[in-house]
Amino acid sequence: MKHFTFITLVLISFFAVNAQQYKQSLAGIEWVKIESKSSITVKTHTTNELLIKSENTTKIPERAKGLKLIGEGGADNTEMGFYVVKEGNNLIVRNLRKSNHSTAEIYLPASQNISVTTRGTGAADIEIIGFKSEIEASALLNGSIHIENVSGPVTADSLNGGITISFSTLNQDSPITIYATNGELDITLPKNTPANLSLGTVNGDIYTDFDLKFPEKNGLKSISFSQKLNQAINGGGVPFQLKTTNGNIYLRKK
Amino acid sequence: MENKHYIAQLPDYLDDTLPPEQKEVIATHIASCTTCKEALKELQILSTAFDNEPEVAPSARLRDNFFAQLEAEKQSSSKLIAMDGSSFSKKTNWPTTFLKIAASIALLIGSYFLGKQQQAQIAHTEIALLTNENESFKQTAMLSLMGNKSASKRIQGVQFVTEFSAPDETIVSALIERMLNDENTNVRRTAVEVLSEFTRSELVTNGFIKALKTEKDPGIQITIIQILGKIQERNAVVPMQNLLERKDTQPYVKEELELVLPKII
Repeated sequence: MKHFTFITLVLISFFAVNAQQYKQSLAGIEWVKIESKSSITVKTHTTNELLIKSENTTKIPERAKGLKLIGEGGADNTEMGFYVVKEGNNLIVRNLRKSNHSTAEIYLPASQNISVTTRGTGAADIEIIGFKSEIEASALLNGSIHIENVSGPVTADSLNGGITISFSTLNQDSPITIYATNGELDITLPKNTPANLSLGTVNGDIYTDFDLKFPEKNGLKSISFSQKLNQAINGGGVPFQLKTTNGNIYLRKK
Repeated sequence: MENKHYIAQLPDYLDDTLPPEQKEVIATHIASCTTCKEALKELQILSTAFDNEPEVAPSARLRDNFFAQLEAEKQSSSKLIAMDGSSFSKKTNWPTTFLKIAASIALLIGSYFLGKQQQAQIAHTEIALLTNENESFKQTAMLSLMGNKSASKRIQGVQFVTEFSAPDETIVSALIERMLNDENTNVRRTAVEVLSEFTRSELVTNGFIKALKTEKDPGIQITIIQILGKIQERNAVVPMQNLLERKDTQPYVKEELELVLPKII
């Protein structure tokens, strides 16, 4: 009887662990597109597969037993509140839960191109760490974006949240554009990065420790209230644009 | 005379441009010489083939240059014709013979320079074709970048437009398409910024007015309002007023509208 209880316990825990992990091969996948209405974290691992981990803090309602979670973008086919489907060479990963109680983490290989979009009325933050590939991040409503230890190209935009990005190196292949409407931009670049900087803000201010200067205007006042600054650093390189409407821009070197 | 062939003179003979006495000489010679007869026959076949070849119309691009070149050509060749005429003078005294030699030297030098000039012209046309090909190559590359899955690549394609001296309608339409329909905010915003360089085109201003109705991103809305205000676009007044009255328009967008609208006279 003791043995039976032990085996049952092992089995239960095995299934419980399994239920908190979902794996999917990435063979033939060019882009992984992640969509969510709540906060989402994307990190790297070494295998060529998608792994979703969830600390099960969300209590699935008792009444939901035997039922399936369905959301706007599809039905849960991962047992984890996610809908995962291949569309051509894209892998769509849709978080169906709106609540922020579960902290879902998505793991992908560092070379995987990713596109992460949140559209949440509550806080729907995006966190991306450690990728060497192309990154697209859009916080279309109230989320902020935090990206660190990446090489780009990065295409990021947010409406109400701020954007913090720290680059380890800067890929020179194609342009980097980071736009925030109401949030602040806080961007860190290695100090010897070649780039063609273009900084602009309508109502915000620009702060930097790079040697940047606004062009002299010979005593003439600018007609527009917007500030725009185009300048090459370290001999010039890939186009690198930082734009805000109402937020400040902080550009740091490290 | 019997052993001498007239192959070199045959084209002129066929075109009937030779002086009558020389024409007669050649005609009698051909009657007895099979080599020249064959040559004449071949020449006739070639000539009909040329005549039957459909004319190729030059492109509009070449036309402007062509008339200028034609003028220059007319002047240089008219001199040559005048000299040709004098060389067929009926007088046979020695100064005319001397003139004939001088004329042939002049002809030689003249045709050398004419040939040189034509070579230069051919090279010129080829370079024009090459840059033309380069432009169309650029265009293909740009349009394909604009259709890329990656937003960064699409932005690269959009920014590539600044490489064109005068982008044509296909390019401008592709840009407007990006501005109105791209799913990525940054691509739409970059397209707006690049298009702001081409506000003289009605296609572009109409595109901006359309975007004012469809665009939901307040940052892009403000950029478009500023551009249309700067060029005093009167057709934008009504869509701007509509945007001002809309409930979902952000307060700072409304502020911008209230700032810009009175400035459009």
